[in-house]
Amino acid sequence: MSKFFDLNVHAYPETEVPAEELLRAAKRYGYTGIAITNHDDTVGSELKSNFCFSGIEIRANSVENLKRRIKLYHGKVAVLAVHGGNDKINRAALEDHRVDVLAHPSGEKRGGALNHVLAKLAAKNGVAIEFNLNAIINSRKGERARVLLKMRSHLKLVRKYKAPMILTSNACSIYDLRAPREMIALASLFGMEREEATSALSDFPQGILEKRWKKENDVVVLKNVNLESPRKSV
Amino acid sequence: MCKIQNRFLFSIFYFAVLIPPSLRDRRRYLVFEWISERVIDKWTLLSEIRDSIFSLYGDVGASESKIRLIEYANAEDTDGGMGILRCAHDKVEEVRAALACIHSANEARLSIRVIGISGTIKGATRLLR
Repeated sequence: MSKFFDLNVHAYPETEVPAEELLRAAKRYGYTGIAITNHDDTVGSELKSNFCFSGIEIRANSVENLKRRIKLYHGKVAVLAVHGGNDKINRAALEDHRVDVLAHPSGEKRGGALNHVLAKLAAKNGVAIEFNLNAIINSRKGERARVLLKMRSHLKLVRKYKAPMILTSNACSIYDLRAPREMIALASLFGMEREEATSALSDFPQGILEKRWKKENDVVVLKNVNLESPRKSV
Repeated sequence: MCKIQNRFLFSIFYFAVLIPPSLRDRRRYLVFEWISERVIDKWTLLSEIRDSIFSLYGDVGASESKIRLIEYANAEDTDGGMGILRCAHDKVEEVRAALACIHSANEARLSIRVIGISGTIKGATRLLR
């Protein structure tokens, strides 16, 4: 049986839910581990637990700002994600090999999109493209149709250039978490095959934590990220 | 008059009982559990499930999925519970996605997870326990 990971979960202090509670719910749902990726402007969740990986989601308003903060957090967290949505930010994040995940490249509501150049960059630099299923769950009608359309086009690009992709819940509370089988069913709504969705929940997140797609010299794998018996990280 | 009516009633009864097994609908029973901020009653839950299926697959998809709430059991200690939902045997993944899309009911946050699937009510009830 594969190990499932959810690499984009927001916990206290960004939201009201403590990380322990989210971890407990996630484990009950069948996840092996979660990564708490609070936005860096509300940072500060330190959980002393196995199975819980530290992460950060950088929300920058300009490219210079983004680069400075990537430099700041690189090597200190298990998952370095960038809050996407703006075309320039997306491009800068995908060009940087230190970034692990580009979170919701088409924005939480609306905004930027991927194209063939960006997908190629993602594959080259080993930056995973995130499919944020919370956007499907929390929207209805026209809004959801647009979200699904964007995801479908992203999926096409990701398949073509073989860029890493992950499925995340982007949960802010235990009611936003969904079990792996439910995530796979939701991913089928925008045309993702069952095998693809399974690997986007297990193989790819594991690869991100192990920095599998990074070149030797720019890998700073945290010593305390051990997938066989995960211990405290950071 | 009375006789005709009786015959009419009889014909319905006849049809309902003696439909050959090979022509019966194939069904699946989904055992699901939900967690919520508040207690959700049966009708709210059912209407939320229906709304989700209608909004995701439209009227045609909803008619094909043939859903029906078979069992509803509130948990005693928490604001959650378990239930059994019947659907067509080839629409399980669709119904699962629709259940996952439910995020709130009566402005209380809600999340549903499918625990198990069975081909018979008996098997589903065993999973429920």
